[in-house]
Amino acid sequence: MNCLQAEEHFSAHFEDTLDYQTLHGFEVHLAACEACQQEYAKFQESVKVVQQLPQIEPSPYFMPTLLQRIAEEQREIGGVKGIATAGWQRLLDVFRRPVWAFSGVLALILAVTGTYLYQDGFLFDRDTGSAAITSESQEVRVVAPPVRARRVLGNNGQRLPDGGTSTPVQPMQQHYVLKQVSYTNASTRGGL
Amino acid sequence: MLDLDDELMQRYQKGDEGAFTLLVRRHQQPLINFIARFINDRDNAEDLAQETFIRMFKAAHRYEPGRAHFKTWMYHIAKNLCKNEIRNRERRDKYRVDNVVNSGSDNNGDTEEIDLIANAPANPTFQPEVELERKELRNAIQKAIAELPEQYRLPLVLRDLQGLSYDEISEVLELRSGTTKSRINRARLMLKDKLKPFI
Ligand SMILES: [Zn+2]
Repeated sequence: MNCLQAEEHFSAHFEDTLDYQTLHGFEVHLAACEACQQEYAKFQESVKVVQQLPQIEPSPYFMPTLLQRIAEEQREIGGVKGIATAGWQRLLDVFRRPVWAFSGVLALILAVTGTYLYQDGFLFDRDTGSAAITSESQEVRVVAPPVRARRVLGNNGQRLPDGGTSTPVQPMQQHYVLKQVSYTNASTRGGL
Repeated sequence: MLDLDDELMQRYQKGDEGAFTLLVRRHQQPLINFIARFINDRDNAEDLAQETFIRMFKAAHRYEPGRAHFKTWMYHIAKNLCKNEIRNRERRDKYRVDNVVNSGSDNNGDTEEIDLIANAPANPTFQPEVELERKELRNAIQKAIAELPEQYRLPLVLRDLQGLSYDEISEVLELRSGTTKSRINRARLMLKDKLKPFI
């Protein structure tokens, strides 16, 4: 072992973690090398003085300030939850008012009746593909693909702004268009 | 088997808010010491320690007791905050130096590092000369630590001032065990040379 190698083992020797063979080599070198003896003595001394540095005491404000900040964080987290809860609460409160409660029940009855009549074929004659609800819906025409349906509502055979030509509604397409019409109306009434 | 820190974290996760406060009380002093020794600034150390605890508090619900270690998690967060602080400080110092150079004025010593962290607790058997000597030595040690390159300073502070094991230090610094050991040895050798006039 030379001086540089010995130096590499200063910490391990100081902490007594060297294996037997390395320990033996280290001890033999140190016994013969005065320079390493001195360096190792200074090494041990400096590690000890560093380890004995006094601990810094936290200031008296540290804990109260931190606890206050934690409380604020907690309030913030609680606040977000509170807002979400309050939102649902407000929605439920609306339906506790008699007028709105009545409207809600009425809408439910209409929806159930409508579904029942539709399934029964009263509103829509699936055999012929003709709509029986209003004259407006009878005039509905669509160009494939159906996604464009809302853009091409107009008169039969009309030349359309996007260059497409409307074609008579096929049974499956008409079903789709009816849905689109009701969706559009509902959305518009919603205040778009 | 969970250690006390993990048990406290588990209690906090189950709704015992006092458990987190207890964790803070247990670790506040080591954390402030670590930060102060690492960034060589006591005043900012408390701010950064607070920030560390706040971050831990915010992420506490994601902590998995038994899988992670509270102490190494804490030092890991603190280390990153300290590195940011050092980077920001270097940027500020560079800006200040640039301004001084540009304005043509000389440095009157305002930028000299002020050592605020060498204040030891009061000694009951107070002797002015001895106390002065001790204070000088503490200042010299702190200065020597502060002058170490970051990659050596960090593991040295964690080992010799915070008393972490080599495995814990490797976990905090995300280093292999051999690298941690050799960096600590190297750091101690550098300190030995810096402290020669005092020991
Ligand atoms: Zn030698």
